[in-house]
Amino acid sequence: MKNSKILSIIALVLMLTMVFVGCSKETPSGDEAAEFDLNKDITVVARDAASGTRGAFHEIMKIIVKENDTEVDKLVVGALEFDGTDKVITAVEGDEYGIGYISLGSVSDRIKAVSVNGVEPTVENVKSGNYTVSRPFLLVTKGNESDLVKDFLKFTESTEGQKITNEMNFIGYVDSPADYTASGMSGTIKVAGSTSVAPLMEKLQEAYQELNPDVTFETQAQGSSQGIKAAIDGSYDVGMSSRELKEEEAKELNRHVLAIDGIAVIVNKENPKSDLASEDITKVYKGEITKWSEVK
Amino acid sequence: MQNIKRTNFSENIMQAIFFLSAFISVLAVLAICLFLFMRGIPAIAEIGFMDFIFNEKWGPTNTPASYGILSMIVGSIYVTAGAIVIGVPIGLMCAIFLAEFCPDNVYKFVKPAVNLLAGIPSIIYGFFGMEVVVPFVRENMGGNGYSIMSASLILGIMILPTIISISESSIRAVPDNYAEGSYGLGATKEETVFKVVLPAAKSGVLTSIILGIGRAVGETMAVVMVAGNAVMPLDKIELFKPIRTLTTNIVTEMSYASGLHESALISTGVVLFVFIIILNASLSLIKSKAQRN
Amino acid sequence: MDRSMNNLNKRKAKAMMLKAFVWLCGILTVGILIYILLFILLRGIPNINLKFLFGEYNSETLSAFSSIVATVQMIVLSLLISVPIGVFCAIYLAEYAKRGNKAVKAIRLAVDTLAGIPSIVYGLFGMIFFVNILGFRTSVLSGIFTISIMILPVIISSSEEAIKQVPDTYREGSLGLGATRLRTVFHIVLPSAMPGILSGVILAIGRIVGETAALIFTSGTNVLKNPSLNLFASQRTLSVHMYMLASEGLPHSRNMAFATGSILIIAVFIVNYATTKLAGRIGRLSND
Repeated sequence: MKNSKILSIIALVLMLTMVFVGCSKETPSGDEAAEFDLNKDITVVARDAASGTRGAFHEIMKIIVKENDTEVDKLVVGALEFDGTDKVITAVEGDEYGIGYISLGSVSDRIKAVSVNGVEPTVENVKSGNYTVSRPFLLVTKGNESDLVKDFLKFTESTEGQKITNEMNFIGYVDSPADYTASGMSGTIKVAGSTSVAPLMEKLQEAYQELNPDVTFETQAQGSSQGIKAAIDGSYDVGMSSRELKEEEAKELNRHVLAIDGIAVIVNKENPKSDLASEDITKVYKGEITKWSEVK
Repeated sequence: MQNIKRTNFSENIMQAIFFLSAFISVLAVLAICLFLFMRGIPAIAEIGFMDFIFNEKWGPTNTPASYGILSMIVGSIYVTAGAIVIGVPIGLMCAIFLAEFCPDNVYKFVKPAVNLLAGIPSIIYGFFGMEVVVPFVRENMGGNGYSIMSASLILGIMILPTIISISESSIRAVPDNYAEGSYGLGATKEETVFKVVLPAAKSGVLTSIILGIGRAVGETMAVVMVAGNAVMPLDKIELFKPIRTLTTNIVTEMSYASGLHESALISTGVVLFVFIIILNASLSLIKSKAQRN
Repeated sequence: MDRSMNNLNKRKAKAMMLKAFVWLCGILTVGILIYILLFILLRGIPNINLKFLFGEYNSETLSAFSSIVATVQMIVLSLLISVPIGVFCAIYLAEYAKRGNKAVKAIRLAVDTLAGIPSIVYGLFGMIFFVNILGFRTSVLSGIFTISIMILPVIISSSEEAIKQVPDTYREGSLGLGATRLRTVFHIVLPSAMPGILSGVILAIGRIVGETAALIFTSGTNVLKNPSLNLFASQRTLSVHMYMLASEGLPHSRNMAFATGSILIIAVFIVNYATTKLAGRIGRLSND
């Protein structure tokens, strides 16, 4: 008697759990996906203010409005702000009415990257300059670089380094890269900064370490501004930035362009739009357009 | 003679060491207060107390920058209130279940489950919230899912173990003769539990709720993944709209902040700290009141 | 008569409903737990492989090995600092302190306050004090000190509880045989209180394993390629690893976040099991 009661309780708990699990698994692929409701509100997804991607995107799209001495980020009230590329992807992947922006190198089949002003976001188009939503990936250092840092920077700008850059879907910036030969140096290089540059940085470090096994790296990826700050105050050797330097920052730092990266505007895969005008993107991010039906 | 002196000596030394170890906690609290206030107060002074606490505009990257955290204070309050509304009834009922209605062999099963719920890291709650709760809210309740509602749901689950274990032990601590008296008057078990035992365990239940509030106000990593982090003007705050709380403001912006911005974030921590101090004070108030009774 | 019957029925129905509701809440709590566990484990465990567990970290494997090593370092070293302090503090509170003493009041207030401070505030403090003012930079060392303060209240309260539960007859016996107070504490009281102290330590381990907010600003997010005992380097623990994986944009990082989550859950499982076992032993001891 007692046993059967307990068994039935366990069964009930399991059933409840199954119902929960069942629900959440069915919903994303459900048939409601077919009816994309243009009159629903757009979910605007942005990055946190630390992000170089945000700095560059808001600058290019004129979401940051400069008037005389003032500079105001007019991002629409209620826009989601995430501190990582993957969270942006997850948000747009899950929300049919979402729009976001990520590094071109991070585009995957979980979401759809749309054309801007009729130009597809591809490596070729960024390289040719047709796709204008792009920014440089910078490595910054302060004062005189140590031999080790110099050697590593030389590697990133070499044929080998630029090949890795291109393989990762970024656009190598060095015109006629030289070959790199292992220097056999040793020591630790401390790198900090952009989460967008970090995956490329990791690949470069791995390749560099294969050639120079005595070199170790310490990497902190918490946003471009952190990297610039860390390079200025000297707590890190190299700062990674995925946005252009501000004037007062540029005065203090040596600037190396590692690559050019496109910023892809992404929407949910159910979204029928595949081409957006840049004015409309600006309006969406400033909150002047709130519904997909108002987007041309 | 010599021997006794020596033991006395080591006795005294050890007693001093015990006392010093005990005093480290006091030092730690003082140090935390000192350094937080040292970095936070000047910033509040520079921004202006009223402008910091009662201004809803947060725009550290704008020129001129504005540092108002009213929207986040309100956000923290809303999210916590939501967690209490969801977590307290369920937690309290579950505590009553465990203390009064649960057969022994079910108890063996449920009690460790509650403990396990307490041990799950907040990052896992956050991940779960992002992958399950947010889509659930979006599909079934409206909005885009990243909202006060989602944060309240996740926090409501997270405070369950706190509410359950403290309420349960305070219900168990109610003397048996209370219940016996009630039975003697012909009340059913349910009536006895809800009308006699539960009121008698009031102060314990209140303690559990305050500890729950403390946990909800201070939670960071789970909230940052489900709340959407948007700074909302007060008149735009809605249940199914995103929100930014004090804790998430610190964690999303700290990494890149510098100068006054960084200090403003530390000041946000100071406000949070003051919140917790107030909660703790009310907790010891309840404790001393219960002791007097 | 009819009316009172009716009333009785109503009362009975109400009682049944309450009972059902109470049961439902109990079941719901367990259901939520099982759902969370299944959700993470079902997606995480298929992604766990040897490379992930023990391989070298790179952008392909996203291995958790260095983070596991860092977590173990963090646990061992912060326990080394806070267990002696915590246990000594408990001994003072339970054995030496006189009731109503001002210092004792201050200490209790401090312990309660420490227990209530959110981890993000610990993180801020660690960043200001250990990282900046003492100049430890973002490193394991800063993380250890921050964490040590954070787990102090857990260890103090469970140790004090355990010491108080040692029957007075033990102490009287020892003192009666001519042992000093100190000897009694170390040879009689502490050994009897050991299971309780240990369960506090295990709780603290659980807290360290799950901590994220206090560590991001203190011990940082770096992964050492060759895991080693390097206190001056920044290293990420398992929870921070999971947080970073959930933020990075690599295609498989989400799967690996699930895998890391599964390891965390298994660790928490073991910790809880050990605590329950110890608690069971204490129960038996006090029944003797």
